Amino acid sequence: MLTLLRDLRRLRRQIALPAPGRGRSLALRHVDAGSCNGCEHELTLVSGPYVDMARFGLGVVASPRHADVLLVTGPVTTRMREALLIAYAAMPEPRRVAALGDCALGCGVLGLPGEITGRVEDVLPVDLRIPGCPPTPERIASALLELIDGEHVP
Amino acid sequence: MEAPVHDGQGYRSAVAEALAGGWRFGGLHASADGGRQLVRALLVGEGGQVRLETAAAEHATVPTIVDLAPAAGWDEREAHDLCGVGFDGHEPLRPLADHAAAFGRWTTPVRGPDPYQLAVGPIHAGVIESGHFRFHVVGDRILHLDARLFYKHRGLERAAAGHTLEEGLAYATRACAACWVTNAVAYAHACEELLGLAATPELARARTILLELERVWNSLNDIGAVCAGVGLAAGNNRFAALTEDARRLNARLTGHRFLFGSVAVGGSPLDLDAAAVAAARADLARIREDSARAWRELLFNASFMDRMPDIGVVDSEAALALGVVGPAARASGIRADVRSASPRLAYEGFEPAALRRAAGDVQARLEQKALELLPCLDVLDRLLDGPVHPAAAAGGGGATAAIGVGRVESPRGATSCIVERDGGRIARLRLRTGSYANWPAVAFAAADNLLPDFPLINKSFELCYACADR
Repeated sequence: MLTLLRDLRRLRRQIALPAPGRGRSLALRHVDAGSCNGCEHELTLVSGPYVDMARFGLGVVASPRHADVLLVTGPVTTRMREALLIAYAAMPEPRRVAALGDCALGCGVLGLPGEITGRVEDVLPVDLRIPGCPPTPERIASALLELIDGEHVP
Repeated sequence: MEAPVHDGQGYRSAVAEALAGGWRFGGLHASADGGRQLVRALLVGEGGQVRLETAAAEHATVPTIVDLAPAAGWDEREAHDLCGVGFDGHEPLRPLADHAAAFGRWTTPVRGPDPYQLAVGPIHAGVIESGHFRFHVVGDRILHLDARLFYKHRGLERAAAGHTLEEGLAYATRACAACWVTNAVAYAHACEELLGLAATPELARARTILLELERVWNSLNDIGAVCAGVGLAAGNNRFAALTEDARRLNARLTGHRFLFGSVAVGGSPLDLDAAAVAAARADLARIREDSARAWRELLFNASFMDRMPDIGVVDSEAALALGVVGPAARASGIRADVRSASPRLAYEGFEPAALRRAAGDVQARLEQKALELLPCLDVLDRLLDGPVHPAAAAGGGGATAAIGVGRVESPRGATSCIVERDGGRIARLRLRTGSYANWPAVAFAAADNLLPDFPLINKSFELCYACADR
């Protein structure tokens, strides 16, 4: 195990990530509303050693009741619509919604009209749009940091 | 491919005869021919050859084959829910994709002194795809698990109908990003059979490289996922870094981290010069060294490895009955691997890696994935021996067909794609992925285990929900 930890420490030095600007945090709750799993795989690596979003105060929380941001991926399928609305309703104010990936933004969505409700925007008020198919971990992290800095808050 | 149409009983006896003759069930879907409703069962022979047995529905019903091939359970339930075909003798035919069905119809009645139900999902606590698990539990022990998927059902197969074969690729691949190349190649193979096109060595080489690049990052991701399943942050982070390395390599080679756009019907756009190939080989050698080093660390971590044995067991008999495929099947001692018999791809002489202890538990599935990373890197090292040029399939000569079948080994097991055409357009697309085949085994493996071990059992399969839901 020591070798593993030493390797990770060396890796961390090599990556030389910029230090976070100041103390701040954002609790994220992810909802997969019908994605192809690409955004999930990239979002997982936002917590990995190369981007390590925890350094910037960004973390995924288990419950929407603890979340500041609802991070929604995929076109909203008819079958996920209700669960998405319940998760949103469970969030405390102030709350923000981020639409992650092209499908969530309604770009190039494929499927049957009866099975897909529409964009995230058709179901919830969206505060932050993160385009990409899928967006890279760096892009996801930097978009979320902008949300902290308030640039995208209406 | 020819598919003679039987009446109900003829279909049942043809399937029974094939199964008795060593063929294995490989998928089932509902189709139509004019106004006539059809059900087709895909059977796979020992040498990877495929055949379809087709039944014409009478009064929208065909006899079930689930008693002959229990692996057909999900397929028949899906065909019922989405295409309205009844299966005579499949009792109870519980809803799979029909979410409007009453609660009592899709859950299994569990009786006993004090069982209770635990509902999880569709939204999970981590960054996980959506799906619902209903555990029937006594104390901490799982009696039964009803997995309810299809929350992410987008109707991709039905939406593909009426499109050209070229347009269909987008529908087949949108199912899942993690298996993009597998689904693309399976679809391309099916279409090339329709068009009477044959693979050239250069085309086979390009596609095999892409398939194995996909397997590399998936294997690394899956080992990391098991670490995450037991809360071993160091192992999870090490393999997350390796997954990132592999995806960056993908982006350098094809311009996309998940290799999107690298496969086409009837050809390959992959274009790599000598320098790119040499750099990729060096990157893969580094991944091999780093992953071997990290894996050794996990093997010698007793508190990690002690969690693995004897939980989530799927023995070889159950794995055969349930139709388990891929590393999960090989971890149960079933040697099947589509790569051993893939004439359209460049896997000459490929032998699947075999564990000494193929016990079908979490440990075996984890070790199998780690073991399979090596032959996968070997194949890449062999094929990346020079520049890769865009290639086209060999045209003409081959007879065109009305139904094409492509079978490819995904990181999670055999994926079959069936394309039925009406002239130049898709009449029916069916994508049966390794994840779809293995989901029933997850529920089977969970039974009789402790509830806190479920995340680990689930991660040892690491199936895609998107691939199953489509």
